[in-house]
Amino acid sequence: MVSQRDRELFRDDIRARGTKLSAADRENLLKPYLPDPSELPRRPPQRRKKTIARKTPIRTFLKSQLHQLIYTLIHIFFGIAVRLVQSFHAIVDRIFAIVYYHHRTPELIRKDVKNLDRLPEHLSVILSLRKEEDALAVLMDEVAELAAWSVSAGIPVLSVYEKSGVLKSCIPTLHRVITTKLSTYYGGASQQPELQLFAPHHPVYQPHGETSFEKSNTDSLTMLLLSATDGRETFVDLTKTLTEMSQNGKLSPDDITLELVDAEISEITTQPSQGITTRATNSRPGHDAVVSVKPEPDLLLVFKPFLKLDGYPPWHIRLTEMYCTGYKTNSVTGYGEFVEYQGFLRGLWHYAGAQMRFGR
Amino acid sequence: MATSMHLSKLRKWFLASPPIEMALSKLRELLIGALRQGPVPQHIAFVMDGNRRFARSHGIETVEGHNLGFEALARILEVCYKSGVKVVTIYAFSIENFKRSKFEVDALMEMARVKLSQMAQHGEILERYGAKVRVLGRLDLLRPDVLKAVNRAMDMTSNNGDRVLNICFPYTSRDEITGAIRDTVADYSQPLGSHSSSQRTPFSESHIALNIQAQHQNGKPEDITSDVGSASGSSTHADEAAAKEDQINEIYESGSAFSSSTTLDLAGHQDGHNGKKAAQNNGAESENSSFRSPETITRQTLSNYLHTRENPPLDLLIRTSGVERLSDFMLWQCHEDTELVFLDVLWPEFDLWHFIPVLLGWQRRISKSRKNPDAEGDFDGDVAEPSENDQVVESSEKVKGL
Repeated sequence: MVSQRDRELFRDDIRARGTKLSAADRENLLKPYLPDPSELPRRPPQRRKKTIARKTPIRTFLKSQLHQLIYTLIHIFFGIAVRLVQSFHAIVDRIFAIVYYHHRTPELIRKDVKNLDRLPEHLSVILSLRKEEDALAVLMDEVAELAAWSVSAGIPVLSVYEKSGVLKSCIPTLHRVITTKLSTYYGGASQQPELQLFAPHHPVYQPHGETSFEKSNTDSLTMLLLSATDGRETFVDLTKTLTEMSQNGKLSPDDITLELVDAEISEITTQPSQGITTRATNSRPGHDAVVSVKPEPDLLLVFKPFLKLDGYPPWHIRLTEMYCTGYKTNSVTGYGEFVEYQGFLRGLWHYAGAQMRFGR
Repeated sequence: MATSMHLSKLRKWFLASPPIEMALSKLRELLIGALRQGPVPQHIAFVMDGNRRFARSHGIETVEGHNLGFEALARILEVCYKSGVKVVTIYAFSIENFKRSKFEVDALMEMARVKLSQMAQHGEILERYGAKVRVLGRLDLLRPDVLKAVNRAMDMTSNNGDRVLNICFPYTSRDEITGAIRDTVADYSQPLGSHSSSQRTPFSESHIALNIQAQHQNGKPEDITSDVGSASGSSTHADEAAAKEDQINEIYESGSAFSSSTTLDLAGHQDGHNGKKAAQNNGAESENSSFRSPETITRQTLSNYLHTRENPPLDLLIRTSGVERLSDFMLWQCHEDTELVFLDVLWPEFDLWHFIPVLLGWQRRISKSRKNPDAEGDFDGDVAEPSENDQVVESSEKVKGL
């Protein structure tokens, strides 16, 4: 720690743009704060080590014991503090959960977010697959709940990140689960909002039986399923393609600009692959596969005990607000419920309260 | 109002009095020594946010705020290095920041220049105590005089000890990723030359295919030799890639099981695949085949072209001033297991006392997950269970059955 007097000297020097003190002065100012040269594990260690060891063996031993003791003590107290904070949060969460409950009524959800200054246009969530037997069913139910809350709150785009990508392999089932969930919120099919579900490199999924009757509900929700393969792996794929082109002389490395990469990477998440959309075109000519997704999510909700991205696609989260619903470990059941309506709502509030400034 | 001012003055005087000051610094040393006893993050990144807001709220000039921010940086660097952190990366200036007022940009540049050139004056001290200073980012956007100071400082400290300070100077992460892609492409587009000195595999499919092709076409002999050389070269690359993929598999076990298994597959079959391709291209574009195969590019390859290639993975990212955004910083690096911490304190006020809880929390989490990987706080599928995938399949079938 620097003493007040030296700090003043240092600041004076800065105000004068480093002209007041000479190099030697500065060194003198610095000297008392540098460790003793003999204490440093320096390059020729053979010589130094011996002298250190011989100098103060007892003192070093006591010092390390003291540090060990303090480390243990600090961690005990810190552990207690963390537990206290956690229980406090748990209580607050319970209260919130009672006060704010959706009752499966879209109007209530809409009312809850009515007073917010802004809503994310693109909400992204990080979910994790658990290890229980019915993990996938639980995960699908969570996704369905989130879909229902988002569309009720008026968020048009929801992207769901789950690391292993298991959701992508069962899109039809997921679609059915979500539709069922929406029907418990909205009632019959004509009152339900329109749902578009897709994943990178997959076409927009629309089931066969979708009839083109007039919907009384004009809301729509576009859902995007992401997994770890859409992260770094996508960049690897892009690099491979670019390398091939460059090796064939179709492109020079200098042509690779930020804009090019941005366009390519964004395309993957904004445009579903057009390959096999026959099913969709059959059911609704002229109205399908026109999905426009804002590639950068505005808000990222992390349903985990602490904030960790866990392989989330890196390119688009540059200006994304992140919110971690945090501490929700129920020690009795082993697994806490992570995806809760009040957590979702708190994330939205937090987002509305944060001020947005571009360019830091 | 007056009393509070007097009180704060009194407090300041009290804290600045020699005995208290000494006691405080002893306490700090004790705490740092204690922190060393546990696991310590190897690589910490800081986003030093809040200098301007601090200046505004305290009624001082913006530049003054940045100066105070620099002092906070020095304080925190001391804590980090003393407690055993190897690499500290700081976000000093974003490419986007060039859009700020010219006055402020100039002042920041001037500050960087003065600091760096001052540093260069203390060669001997630096050599004894200093960390390696590296400036990451688009150096070509800097003013020439600043660039000179940067290069000088980097040269002088390049042989220093194992501590590293990364200063991201005009930096954005997207730019870094783009640069990595560009460099990879450029590197892979360098012809390997026919004399690639790799050990040959005794027989390779591609070799045989080529020979057959050559017999049919009566192709020129030198063409064949060059092709053979490259083919065996690329096959060893494929092996390397497979080995690498294996490693990656071990690291990211469960998460990317799908993806890496496919890549592994590709790498495995690539030999034959390549052979076919080479055979097809044999007549038409023979100069083309003496490249490294793009299929050998992995995530690791790209990471090796980033600015942070020599550094351990990022353990902790701390952003001050309560803004919960990465702002184009370390996007790629914050990928897998980095804990992001957003603190509601302005950077010039940031000190050991704010840093300790973060560090303790990290230590707690790490030691817990090391002791018992299945314990709370780490049950998000990180720890691979061999049965997990089967289980997923099983449960997905169950869902389909519903």
